[in-house]
Amino acid sequence: MKVSFEGISKKYKGKWALKDFSSNLEYGIYGLLGENGAGKTTLINIFVGILKSDQGRVLINGRDVEKIGIDFLSHIGYLPQYPQFYKEFTVLEFLKYMSVLKGIPKEQGEKRAKELLSMVNLSEAKDMKVGALSGGMRQRVGIAQAMLNDPDILILDEPTAGLDPQERIRFRNLITKFSQNRIVLLATHIVSDIEHVANQVILLKNGELLKQGAPQKLTDEIKGKVWSITVTDDSLEEMLHLKISSMMRDDQGIHLRVIADEKPADHAVHVKPNLEDVFLYYSSEGEKW
Amino acid sequence: MVRLFFFEFRKHFMKKSLVIAIICFSLLNIAKIYSEYHEKSLLSSSANPEWQELYWNEIYEQFKGVMTDKKIETLMSIYKPLEQQTADKTASTETNNPNTYTGNLYNDHLFFKWNFVDPMEYAYMYKQYANDVVKTANENVSFFESLGNDYEYKKNKIILNRFQGRSIDSFSYTEMFQYYIHYDFSAFLVILICLYALMSVFVTEKETEMNVLLLTTKAGGQKTIFAKLFSASVFVIAISFWFGLIDFIAFASFFGSLEALFSPIYAIENFANTALDINLGEYALLSLVVKTIGFLIVSYLFLFISLFFKNALLPFIINMFFMFGFIYFQEAYMGSEQIIFKVINPFSLVVHRDLFGGTEFVNLFGFPILSYTAAILLGVIWGGIFLLAIFIFQRKNTIYRIGVKKRVDKVV
Repeated sequence: MKVSFEGISKKYKGKWALKDFSSNLEYGIYGLLGENGAGKTTLINIFVGILKSDQGRVLINGRDVEKIGIDFLSHIGYLPQYPQFYKEFTVLEFLKYMSVLKGIPKEQGEKRAKELLSMVNLSEAKDMKVGALSGGMRQRVGIAQAMLNDPDILILDEPTAGLDPQERIRFRNLITKFSQNRIVLLATHIVSDIEHVANQVILLKNGELLKQGAPQKLTDEIKGKVWSITVTDDSLEEMLHLKISSMMRDDQGIHLRVIADEKPADHAVHVKPNLEDVFLYYSSEGEKW
Repeated sequence: MVRLFFFEFRKHFMKKSLVIAIICFSLLNIAKIYSEYHEKSLLSSSANPEWQELYWNEIYEQFKGVMTDKKIETLMSIYKPLEQQTADKTASTETNNPNTYTGNLYNDHLFFKWNFVDPMEYAYMYKQYANDVVKTANENVSFFESLGNDYEYKKNKIILNRFQGRSIDSFSYTEMFQYYIHYDFSAFLVILICLYALMSVFVTEKETEMNVLLLTTKAGGQKTIFAKLFSASVFVIAISFWFGLIDFIAFASFFGSLEALFSPIYAIENFANTALDINLGEYALLSLVVKTIGFLIVSYLFLFISLFFKNALLPFIINMFFMFGFIYFQEAYMGSEQIIFKVINPFSLVVHRDLFGGTEFVNLFGFPILSYTAAILLGVIWGGIFLLAIFIFQRKNTIYRIGVKKRVDKVV
């Protein structure tokens, strides 16, 4: 399975939401990383067929999805941003309903729904009303519905938004579990969501593709550009103009993690870059800090 | 498709709040019918308990059924003396007079006048009235034929055919049907329930942001719209029939009679000029069907308006505005000569006495169409327009489903 985006562009009210976006995806987890408004949801909406692109096309194994027609939908599983689902439905009822919508035969749909509930650890909650679920449970129902048709491509739009840390980890593990032999496109603005699970990271900014590559490759590219500086409360003010990716206070003072092409201070020392640094490095490029 | 329909029905119409509303409104309806009975019935146990007993246990048995000369003579032999004795208002007003039926002469007079003499007189005289109508229509037919006025000729021909041979041969207790066919409160309740229930049909998908997810499924587009409309229609029909059933059973049980079930519709005085030639039982069924068509049309309008909103409150208010607008226009043109304004209003199918009570025509390309036929035809056209509009406007969301020729520009 190969998904190709070829020169996808979309303009809203004269502003580019997505500009000439091209990329190829094969099996694995793809972290679509960008700030809010970077064009992640626009790209996903064009991919799943909700939005019409102004230019460009999406190909599946070399075939234009517009020519594949409605059958294309059987290849995808989609979890939208902030889904509420139907409060009055029970969890199992909702999954059965989604099976009907996806054209899955009755027995097969029920069997699959129960299997997935077990996989997302919600078997006990199958008779609970959707309205009574916690945010994390609801997102697990969301991923279960996306997986009902055993899709080749799983598309998750900000799936961890609003989840507590424990649920976030649980959800991340689920994504890894479901990523075998399929393409997972995971849009997020939270670097930690994809840092340890993504095979490839796609960095978007203002609708444009900034970078695409394996996390290791991306971090290697900014090697030597991430610094650690220890300052005191008194000298902190002088450092605030730098691109600081994190701050940590301990007995020795305040440790700043700084991104800079040149050594930002005499006592600055190199540290190993992480994906957050990569995101910050590229997303704030050209911006005054 | 059947399963999709079931889930749509479950999603929108099997909600606790809606079930509670239906139960409460049903009870309210029964209470209202009960109060109608006590307020309006001549034989209600609270207003005239002695009348009720006298009517059902003694007098009605003597006069019900085919009106014969003997029955009329017997009735007159009771009524005439009462009329004379009470004519100059000097009769005794005591209420425990043992030589009377009800304890009081005036009461006796009114009892027989209202319950037997007036209705029997109306029934007896109706044949003559219908003959007069036929005679006039016949004259008109000849007159307009000579003038070459084809429209009026056809119109009078229809009147002639409809009224020919009409008579009310039997006397029966019609009070229950009299009030049953003039009862509109349940229609108002049905409209309110439909309004409440239908607001969620399209709006829910936006409120829950499921509209986006639906579009990424095979059946989430036009099939879902179809299932929504079908389930909404089934719901409206079910609610209409449910309240229709409650009305009928409650009226029959409170008034304690279905005596006039097989009497002709024109046995009810307000329907003396009706173009219908069916019995009251058939009219009850026809009335329910026409009312249901009216509810469906109004419901499709509610659904269409709700398409443009992301939450239920505003369309609820706008639809209320439309509903009261329809009611206002119906009231304004009730009994009016401007028949087109009556038939064009979809609400005229919901409260349709004015359509069925008389014989009125609409000129359709030179053909006289009975007003109720025109109203039903126009209603069906309205319904078709609203359904088409729903598909056209909701299609924005569903172009992708049709074959991915084009994609939508905007997620609604």
